[in-house]
Amino acid sequence: MSDTETLFIQHFNEEARPLSYYLKNMAGYTGLKKALGMSQEDIINEVKKANVRGRGGAGFPAGVKWGFIPKQSAKPKYMVCNADESEPGTFKDRDLMRYTPHLLLEGIAIGSYAIGANAAYIYIRGEYVREAKLLEAAINEAYQAGYLGKNILGSGFSLDITVHRGAGAYICGEETALLNSLEGKRGEPRVKPPFPAIAGAFGGPTIVNNVETLAGVPFIINNGGDWYAKLGKLEKSGGTRLFGISGHVKRPGIYELPSGSITIRELIYDYGHGILGDKKLKAVIPGGSSAPVLTADEIDVIADVDPIMKIGSMFGSAGMIVVSEDYCVVKLLARISKFYAHESCGQCTPCREGCRWMEEVIERIEHGHGHEQDLNLLLSIADNINAKTLCALGDAAAGPVMSFVKKFRADFEAHIRSGKCPNA
Amino acid sequence: MPKCVIDGREVEFSPGENLIEVAKKVGVEIPYFCYHPGLSVVAQCRMCAVEVEKMPKLQTACSTVATDGMVVKTRSERALANQKSVMEFLLINHPLDCPICDQAGECDLQDYSYEYGSPYSRYTEERRTFLDLDMGPVIVKNMNRCIHCTRCIRLGAEVLGIREMVATQRGNKTEIATIDGRPLETDYAGNYADICPVGSLLLKDFRFKKRVWFLKKTATVCEGCARGCNMDIQHDANVIYRCTPRENLEVNQYWLCDEGRFNFHYVHDADRIMEPAVRADGELKMTEFGASLDAARAALKGKKAAVLLGTDLTQEEAKLLQEFLPKYLPNASVFHFGTPGIVSEADDAPADKILKRKSKTSNLHGFEKLGFKGLKTLPTGLDAALVIRGGRATLPELKGLSTVGIGVFTREEAATFSVVLPGLTFAEKDGTIVNFQGREQHIRRAIFPAGNCKALSEILAMWAHGTGGNA
Repeated sequence: MSDTETLFIQHFNEEARPLSYYLKNMAGYTGLKKALGMSQEDIINEVKKANVRGRGGAGFPAGVKWGFIPKQSAKPKYMVCNADESEPGTFKDRDLMRYTPHLLLEGIAIGSYAIGANAAYIYIRGEYVREAKLLEAAINEAYQAGYLGKNILGSGFSLDITVHRGAGAYICGEETALLNSLEGKRGEPRVKPPFPAIAGAFGGPTIVNNVETLAGVPFIINNGGDWYAKLGKLEKSGGTRLFGISGHVKRPGIYELPSGSITIRELIYDYGHGILGDKKLKAVIPGGSSAPVLTADEIDVIADVDPIMKIGSMFGSAGMIVVSEDYCVVKLLARISKFYAHESCGQCTPCREGCRWMEEVIERIEHGHGHEQDLNLLLSIADNINAKTLCALGDAAAGPVMSFVKKFRADFEAHIRSGKCPNA
Repeated sequence: MPKCVIDGREVEFSPGENLIEVAKKVGVEIPYFCYHPGLSVVAQCRMCAVEVEKMPKLQTACSTVATDGMVVKTRSERALANQKSVMEFLLINHPLDCPICDQAGECDLQDYSYEYGSPYSRYTEERRTFLDLDMGPVIVKNMNRCIHCTRCIRLGAEVLGIREMVATQRGNKTEIATIDGRPLETDYAGNYADICPVGSLLLKDFRFKKRVWFLKKTATVCEGCARGCNMDIQHDANVIYRCTPRENLEVNQYWLCDEGRFNFHYVHDADRIMEPAVRADGELKMTEFGASLDAARAALKGKKAAVLLGTDLTQEEAKLLQEFLPKYLPNASVFHFGTPGIVSEADDAPADKILKRKSKTSNLHGFEKLGFKGLKTLPTGLDAALVIRGGRATLPELKGLSTVGIGVFTREEAATFSVVLPGLTFAEKDGTIVNFQGREQHIRRAIFPAGNCKALSEILAMWAHGTGGNA
C-alpha cells in the first residue's frame, strides 16, 4: 500500500487533532484559499474533470450534480453534507470525521462557494455523538481562524456550517428524507422530481454530498481535477476509495486504495488477511447490506461502481461484508430483512407491506417452519417491491432477498426440508 | 395545445396536468388511492403507476406531468402486474370486514379489489392490528382498515390549516392518529370521512344507519351560510341520512363544514311543528289550515304589524312576498332578518380562512338585491308580527306581540306565537338562492314535505282567497 498514493488514511491515527495539525501536515485550507480566487464555473469544471463518483452509494458524478444548481435563484441555496452513514457495513465517514474533520469542513466550504450557498449543514447520524462533538469543535476553530463565518479570508464570501444530528433512522440517509428531517419534518423521502438541486432544503436549490465525496474536494482544487482523476485506475472513476471490510475476516477495518485498482478477492485476502479460522468464503456483500450478495466464485471482480454493476450487484458505499462458510446465510438474510422492515418509513405501499411480509416469511424459514412454495413467494414479493417504490429503500430490501434466494437456494431448501437450521 | 397518447388515444392537455387528469379526458381511468385533486401529490400508494415510453421504470401517473408527444400505456402487462401487486399488499393486512363496514359500496379499496385484485391470498402470517382511540364527536376511526394514503393528514395541514392528523411510528407499524390522541378540533372534520378512500374514518352521525347503495342523491346547495356550498342530500324513503360536498371549484372546492353538513337534522326534528296550530288556553293546538288562516288574519287585523322575512327563504319566495304584502298587509313595515348582528350584506364577511361566512343564512345577498331592508331593531309601538322563515334564520325577540309564524319552527321557538302555518325546509322545496359572490344557485327538493307542511306559495294563495282550501 505504501507504493500508492493515499489521501486520508495516513492521518487516521489520532483523534481530535487541532487545526494546527491540519494546517501543517495536510496543507490545510490552501484549497479553500485557491478556490476563493477561482470562478464558480472553474471549480465545478475541475470537479467534473476529477471524475468523483458520489461516495454515498449511488455513484453519481459529483461535478455533474453541482452543475445542476441554477445560477439564479430567488431562494437561498444550500450545501448539505450527508453524514448519516446508516448503511450496515459502512463506517468510513465516521473515521473521516473523527480524524480529519477540517478536511470535510474545507470541502464543504469549497463546494458551498462553487454553488453559491452561504449556509451548509452536516446531517450526522444520531449515534455518532463523539464525531458530532469533534465536528463542532473543529467548526469553532475554523470560525476563530477566519475559515468560516463572514467574509472568509477577505474574499467577501460568507458561510455558516451547522451540525444537525439525526435521530436514528436509516431512511434519513436518503437525500430527500434527510432534507425533510433537516427541516424538522417526518423523515420521509419526497417525490422526485423536483430534485434537490432545483428544490431541496427549505425549497432552495440544494446539493447533498457524502462526507468522503466532499473530503476529496480540497485535493482536487489543490492538485487539479486531472491529477485526481488519474489517481483512479478506471476511466470514469477518479480518486481513491475508502473500503470498509467487516465480517469474518482476520483484519477488518478501513483500507484506502485507488479507485478501480483492486478486486474483491485481493481486498479480502491481501488486506483483510483472509477468512477467520482459515475457513472457506461463503459470500460477500460488496457495498453495504443493501447490495445483492456475491458468491465465492464472483469475487474476482474489480471493486468499483461499473464492474460490480455489470455482474448484477452494487458497489454502494464500498462496505464489504464478508461471510464465512460456517455462517448460516438464511439467518443473515433474516437479519438483513428485519433491518429493512424496521427501517421502512411506511410511506409507500410495496415497501411498507412487502418488507414486513418478506421478513416474516424468512424468519419462518429460518426457524424451520417454511414451505417449499415460500421461496417463489419471496422472489415474487421482492419483484413486486423492486423498482416500484418511491425511494431506493424498496430496492435495497428487495435486492438481498432476490440474490440470496437465487444464489443460495439450496441453503433455504435445506432449512425447509429438515425443519431446522442445518448449521445449528 | 400539446398532445400525448394514452392507451393509443391522442389527447390534448394544458401544460402542468398530470397523467391521471389527462387520461380522464379520454375516458381512461387510472386507479389511485392517495391522489386527490385538492391536495398535494405524494405518490405513495403506487397504484397509479403506468408505463411511459422511454422511461425504464413504471411512473406514478399522479406525479408525472404530461409532456408533448408522451406515449403512455396504462394497461400494459407491467402496469397491470403492479396494480395487482399493490392490491395484494394493501389487502394482506386489511380486515376484509366489508359486511359490517359503512364504506362498503363506496370504497375505493373494495371497488379496485374486484377490478384489479386476486380472489386468492398468499398471506399466511398474522394480520397487523391496532387499538383505536376516540377522535371526538364527528369521526370514528378504524385503523385496521387504513391503507396509509395520508389524505387525511394532508387535508388537515393543507386545507383546514390544522396539523391534528399525524402519522406516528413508522414502516409497517405506521399509525394515523391525532397528536397525543386528542379529539379532532377542526369544525370541518366531516371532510376526513369524505376523503378517506376506505372505511378507516367514518362519520359517527351516519354510522350503521344505512347501506350506501340504498341512498339517492339530490344535488343541492347548503343553506348554512352565505357561501352556499354545493352538496348532495343523500336520502332514502323520505328520510335524509347525510349530506356530502359536491365539487365546485369556484365556491367550495371539494369541502363542506360540519355545521352545514349536519344542518339537515332539523328537517326530521321531532319538535318541528308540522301541522297548522293555533294558540288556545295558552297552548298551541293542532288544527287545520282553514281555522288557522282565519286565526292568522284575525291576529293581524287592525294591528300595527311588522313583517319579518328570514333570509333563509328563496328568491322565488321573496318575489312572491313582494307582490303579496302590499296587497294584503299594506300598512305593515317589512324587514329581513337572519343572523344577529348581520343587518346588510356589508356586514357579511369570511368567518374563517376556509369556507364559512358570517351570515348564517343562505340568501342574505338575494334579499338585499331585491331591495328588502334588514332589521336592526323593531319599530316602537308594534303590537303584532308576521314571521316567515325557512327554519334557519335566528328569530328576533318578539315577546308581547301577537305573532303569526309561517314556515319552519320548533315548539320551543313558537312558544309566544298565536298561530303557526307550517312551511317547508330547504330539503323539501325548489328555489334559487344568491351567495356572497352574487352567484345564483339552485336548491332542489330531496324529500316530500313532512306532515301537513305546505309551500309558502300555497299558504299565501289560501290567504289571498280568504279560504283554508280543503286542508
